[in-house]
Amino acid sequence: MFPQFRHTMAWLHTWFGLALGLVLMVVFFFGSLSVFDREIDRWAIPDTRYEPQPMPSFDRMLKPIFETVQPNAAERAAVAGLVDGPLPARFDTARSWGAYTTHRDPVLTLFVGYQVPNAKDHETAVWANRTIDPRSGVALPDDRLKIGSGFFYPLHYSLTIEWKQVGYWIVGFAALMMLMALVTGVIMHRKILRELFTFRPNKSAQRSMLDVHNLTGVAALPFHFFFAFTGLVIFAYVYFPVTHTQLAPLHDKHEQVEAKQTGLPHERAGSAAPMASVDAMVLEAQRRWAAKGMAGDVGYLNVQHVGDANGYVSIYRAGTDRVQLAGEGIHFKASTGTVLREDPPPTLVARINEFLTGLHLQHFRHWLLRWLYVLGGLAGCACIATGLFFFVEKRKRQHAKQGVSGARIVDALAVTTVTGMLVATLCMLVANRLLPDSMPAGWPWRGDMEKYCFWGAWLLASVHGLWRTAPVAQARLAPAWREQCLAIAALAVIAPLLNWITTGDHLARTIGAGYWPVAGADLFMLTGSVLALLAARKLQRRDALRAAAPAPMLEAGHA
Amino acid sequence: MHDALMLLAALLASLAGMGWLALSMDVHWTQARAAAPQPAVLVTTLRTLGAAALTLSLALCLAVDSPSIAVLVWCMTLAASTLTVAFTLTWRASVLGMLVFWTSQGAR
Repeated sequence: MFPQFRHTMAWLHTWFGLALGLVLMVVFFFGSLSVFDREIDRWAIPDTRYEPQPMPSFDRMLKPIFETVQPNAAERAAVAGLVDGPLPARFDTARSWGAYTTHRDPVLTLFVGYQVPNAKDHETAVWANRTIDPRSGVALPDDRLKIGSGFFYPLHYSLTIEWKQVGYWIVGFAALMMLMALVTGVIMHRKILRELFTFRPNKSAQRSMLDVHNLTGVAALPFHFFFAFTGLVIFAYVYFPVTHTQLAPLHDKHEQVEAKQTGLPHERAGSAAPMASVDAMVLEAQRRWAAKGMAGDVGYLNVQHVGDANGYVSIYRAGTDRVQLAGEGIHFKASTGTVLREDPPPTLVARINEFLTGLHLQHFRHWLLRWLYVLGGLAGCACIATGLFFFVEKRKRQHAKQGVSGARIVDALAVTTVTGMLVATLCMLVANRLLPDSMPAGWPWRGDMEKYCFWGAWLLASVHGLWRTAPVAQARLAPAWREQCLAIAALAVIAPLLNWITTGDHLARTIGAGYWPVAGADLFMLTGSVLALLAARKLQRRDALRAAAPAPMLEAGHA
Repeated sequence: MHDALMLLAALLASLAGMGWLALSMDVHWTQARAAAPQPAVLVTTLRTLGAAALTLSLALCLAVDSPSIAVLVWCMTLAASTLTVAFTLTWRASVLGMLVFWTSQGAR
């Protein structure tokens, strides 16, 4: 009975792993890069290469900026279909102002939500986002893409497919199947402890691939499990959308009751009121945190019902010293600065949720743990990639004999998602350094062009993978792997070189100045280049050995 | 600086712990020490040393960070050590011999 159970587990592991491994590869790789998303932003936007800054003065700097921020054309277009009639030229009633920063951010992100007149749904808001230099208040141009936090990070959790949140659902299903693959993998693995430290590169390709698959899967098993699980927890509101579907009236009522309980007004009063000093509120919040033994900086500041008598200011602490994503929020009446509420200690369930989300989102200040997270993520990539290689190695001779192209197709898909994804990522960074500072009239925005370069390069890598995996159909090694490894090796040198040429920030300078966000990105790419070159050389040797050896099975396959 | 050194010590303790646990397995013992004998008492000693080193690693992590962060650092350190020991056994197995310097070399 047990062997049959194990076979069932193996079937699940193989086929769901194959189908969703391609998605998980993207999720793990861009998740690993997202650990250093702010640092990648610095590499991609050279104007922001300075030290992280604290939240600047609200009264002197942020308030005047908030008052002038209006949605740009893209932000207006996002709500154009949600109103009856045309959008107004200017939005006047701000629902909220928000300012967000972390201990790794030199720049400050501001966002303003405006009421939309004539909206079909009264809750519709149009958002205006700005990024400013907190030292001067100068805004970054709208067409700059924060490649790390604005592209790689959303790619990690939504594949950037925003339509009907389809991307979130695909990633969520993949994460669920990842949990299943971990459980079935543990059941299938007969010698989980005996082979914990085992890697035998000199055995057959199939055996050595399975060794790496098991090693990277088991060594980082807690990491894989907790990240797949906490990823699902974070987006539980997407996967269980009951509050905005079946339970919408109850949800709305609950908001009102909660507002009464907390004393934080749910609606605008309708009468204008001036705003007291928010800087004084920040000082009071910091005094209260310090009194609780949790002295800290402001991470997030929000003004609700701006300019209204019901307006209030919420100040949240930056979570740099703990895993839990807990803001210790303190709320003030905007017009007087009196404290309306101090968030009470969270319930047990809320604490568990804060810990699980904080574990994944990592707002803490701990560079070793960040690098260990990258290691865990890359181990996940290695585990998935070797799973795909194993699938191909196990079947390609048999498929060659039978004349079916299953192994070849899987190999082409593996090329696309493993090396093709790296080629696309590096092409995007190269494009970031080569595109003009602002695109000519009639062209897409600079940030959009970078995205097009990414997707275009990935498409080309995919076509190349499909073309150059033809030998797999004859049970041979696909040249696509070696060729794309060489492309990665070249691109991963070109990108740091272009960084040097276009900004003057070569490694000697960035390391000398201790500016690790840029130095780290360059070193990471150069290390990747060396590894890709070694992989290409190894693949060439293996191909040469195979070519020199007789291939009886291949001939048999053609017979 | 003090914290960095403590974390480095935690990493090294974790690495040594995983190394000792690996060497307590006959197949890895043979990789590292070839024909040197591995009596049963040595296996027990290696396992005890491995467990103690991993516990020390946890204690060092706890001494540096709050418990929630320390546990995460320690778990990830175990993963890093496992991978490092596995790849060392593959390419430079004899290096792990330094973890059992007090035993006889045996014929290689």
